[in-house]
Amino acid sequence: MSAQLIFLAFFGAAAVWFGVVVFRTHSMVRSAIALLFSQTAVGVMFLLMQAEFLGVLQIMMMATEMSVMAIFMVMFMMDPGGMGAMEMTHQKRLSLWAGGIGLVAALAVIWLADWGPAAMVIPAAAEQTADLGRELLGRSMFIFQSAGLTILTAMVAATMVAIAPETEHAP
Amino acid sequence: MIPELIIALSAGAAMFGVGLYGALSQTNLVMIIMGVELILAAALVNIVAFWRYLHPDEPAAQMFVLIVMAVMAVEMAVGFGIAIARFRSRGSVEMEEARELKG
Amino acid sequence: MTMLALTLLAPLLAAGAILALRRALGLLVLTGAGLGLIGAAGLFLGAAGGDPVTATLPFLPSFPVLLLASPLTATLSLMVATVAAMVLVYGIGYMAKDPERPRFFATMLFFIAAMQLLVLAGDWITLLAAWEMIGFSSYLLIGFWHSRAGVAEAATRAFLYTRSADLGLYIGAFVLIGAAGTSEISATLNTTGTPALIAGLLLLIAAMGKSAQVPLQDWLMRAMAGPTPVSALLHSATLVAAGAILLIRSAPMLPGGALLAIGLVGGATAVIAGLIALAERDLKRLLAASTASQYGLMLVAVGAGAPVAALLHLIAHAAIKSSLFLGAGIFQHDRDSTDLAALAGAGRARPGIFAGFAIAALALAGIPPLAGFYSKDAIIAAALQSPAAPWLLPLTLAGSLLTGAYMGRAMRALWSGPAPQSARSRIPLMAAGMMVLVLLAAGMGPGFATLEHLLDGALPEAAPIVPILGLVAGVSGLALGWLIAPARLLGPLMGPAQNGFRIAGGMDGLVARPARAIASACAAFEARLLAAQIGMIRGIGLGIARLVERSDAALYAFSLWIGRQNLHLGNRARWTDTNRIDAAIFGLVARVIAAGGRARRLQSGFIHRELALTFAGIALVTGVLLAAPYFL
Repeated sequence: MSAQLIFLAFFGAAAVWFGVVVFRTHSMVRSAIALLFSQTAVGVMFLLMQAEFLGVLQIMMMATEMSVMAIFMVMFMMDPGGMGAMEMTHQKRLSLWAGGIGLVAALAVIWLADWGPAAMVIPAAAEQTADLGRELLGRSMFIFQSAGLTILTAMVAATMVAIAPETEHAP
Repeated sequence: MIPELIIALSAGAAMFGVGLYGALSQTNLVMIIMGVELILAAALVNIVAFWRYLHPDEPAAQMFVLIVMAVMAVEMAVGFGIAIARFRSRGSVEMEEARELKG
Repeated sequence: MTMLALTLLAPLLAAGAILALRRALGLLVLTGAGLGLIGAAGLFLGAAGGDPVTATLPFLPSFPVLLLASPLTATLSLMVATVAAMVLVYGIGYMAKDPERPRFFATMLFFIAAMQLLVLAGDWITLLAAWEMIGFSSYLLIGFWHSRAGVAEAATRAFLYTRSADLGLYIGAFVLIGAAGTSEISATLNTTGTPALIAGLLLLIAAMGKSAQVPLQDWLMRAMAGPTPVSALLHSATLVAAGAILLIRSAPMLPGGALLAIGLVGGATAVIAGLIALAERDLKRLLAASTASQYGLMLVAVGAGAPVAALLHLIAHAAIKSSLFLGAGIFQHDRDSTDLAALAGAGRARPGIFAGFAIAALALAGIPPLAGFYSKDAIIAAALQSPAAPWLLPLTLAGSLLTGAYMGRAMRALWSGPAPQSARSRIPLMAAGMMVLVLLAAGMGPGFATLEHLLDGALPEAAPIVPILGLVAGVSGLALGWLIAPARLLGPLMGPAQNGFRIAGGMDGLVARPARAIASACAAFEARLLAAQIGMIRGIGLGIARLVERSDAALYAFSLWIGRQNLHLGNRARWTDTNRIDAAIFGLVARVIAAGGRARRLQSGFIHRELALTFAGIALVTGVLLAAPYFL
């Protein structure tokens, strides 16, 4: 039992628990915060698995995203504070079943597959980053560029959608 | 049987399940987006676990993670843009009322 | 050969032409008769020259048709042709006003052809056939005016009587054929013994029938119901001659017993028929009885063993009797009757015809130098010399006496009486025909000597007494007939004589009535058979009809049943179609619509539902992809 294992287990459980909290709480803000914590736990797992760059990236990005989400939550929710304790779910059973099936199928694969020998040699963090950089600007340049293009398009589209047209009567 | 790998993958699987449940059961668009975030996070966990314990020499795995993260961000942006537009036209983003695509 | 053909075929073809064309009768008749006469003359000359003409025609396997023109047959043929020609000439005039002339002349010519065939026959089969043919023609000709009362019956009776006697010829001929093994006449004439006697007697019976000998003489009187030319040709010279011809030709074969019988029959006929003739009141019937009597004399000659004498008398008689008949016909033409009382004085009205009549009558009585004298003397001589002289001679003399008697009576009846001063019709043809025959009757006498030589026949030596006897008998007979009335002459015999010496009901009771009774019985039987047959046929027919009807009803019911089954089937099909097929189709439609409706629910429009479906789809695809390597 290595330390990595224990911490992985702990932060994994935390991520999962916080994920559950997201959907169990009535307060919107708390859902957003819980999700933040869940993503952060995932980032810590990354760090644990010696993917430092990714871990840091995860934590940073998710923090920002979840904050934005909290704002939007407050904007669009009927009861952001969750004071009304209204049931905001539908097709609950179906969803439970879907989640359950997904979980079970994945677990089955995980526990029954033969993953092969563990890798022992992990490149250093700096080396990882350098390799990543080379990868990014070398082999995966096309992917990166298309991703960039996609992001640009998405930003434009989102902006367009978000801007209220002048002619339509405002709500 | 790499115990760490198993643990990490199991956590990811659990997150996937929860996220799926949330995406399907929530009425609010934002909540659904949160569910999707969880699913994507689970995927990220899986990718990193595989990289760390099976193919640490492969920087492409990390590249994959970057792309997923970018996708997460984009998806959230577009999603919220739609939510704003919807909110403006309807006054709410409850999915129960969105029946325009009914066939 | 050509002469034979001419003799036989000329009259026959002329008859056919007359029936077919029915015009130019005179020309056709004279052509036929003339050519026949030329043919007969040719035959006679040929035979007289020494070589008899023969012809053989194929017929039955071992019995070919033989035609023989020996001196005997050629002479007879010539006689037949001559008399026939003259009678036909006469007949053209006699039948001038009759509407049925084509039938008359055609039948006459047919008869002539048949008679020639009989005369020239070389074998028994041909002779039999010709015998029948002349009998048939006689029937047709006697009954020529069948629309008149009594004529048809007379013809039938005559036919029946002669037919009953023809049986003799049939059996006799077959006896001879059987005895000799061949049908050739000249070969069969060598038969001797019992077959010859039997055959001879049978032939005598046939001759009695055809030549009107006692007791079969009555039919000849009845035959006078026909036209006078028929009487002149058939019933004086040719048909009745057939009997005598038969006996003359078969004379070499006839044994003594047969000859005796022949002589006795002939003699009896000569007397009895003569008595009947004397008692007759009708001229033609008188002449008919005379014919029978003369043929009786011919039979006496044959019976006396001198067939040549019979032949001579036959030839002479042919010319004489035919001219007598033609004369009677002329008188009949004048007075429309042949009754002696009606004809009184008819001779005075036509002196020329009466002269011819008288010449012929004197010839018949046997007055020299007419032909009858020679022939009658030959017969008397033969009778004198025959073994049965005690019988035959008195009969012959009595016959000659009676001949003179009735001829005298006839002449007296014709001459005495008022002569009408009315104009007479012109009768050129009739007179011509008659006169030729009268001349022959008158002048044939001297020719008989050459004929004797020709026929190689020995006439008996005529003792000087013979002509004296004949002359006495003839002259006394004439005187008796002229001067004394028949009633006084005959005395007690008048009654029976007028009756025709009928015995035991005559031929009527013995032959005609039984024949008729048998015929009607057969007819009744046949009618019953027919009715039974028809009844049977009707029964069968009805049975078949009923069967057909039943089967038809069954078929109809069957077809109805089939129809019902079809209908049933149709209904089933319709039900199946409506309830199963249509139901299935509509059901399918409904289900598809339902499925569509259900599928529509997928398009709920709800985002969460879409998401759920998306997840399900992803799970499915993932499963397939993961499992694929294990199965492919």
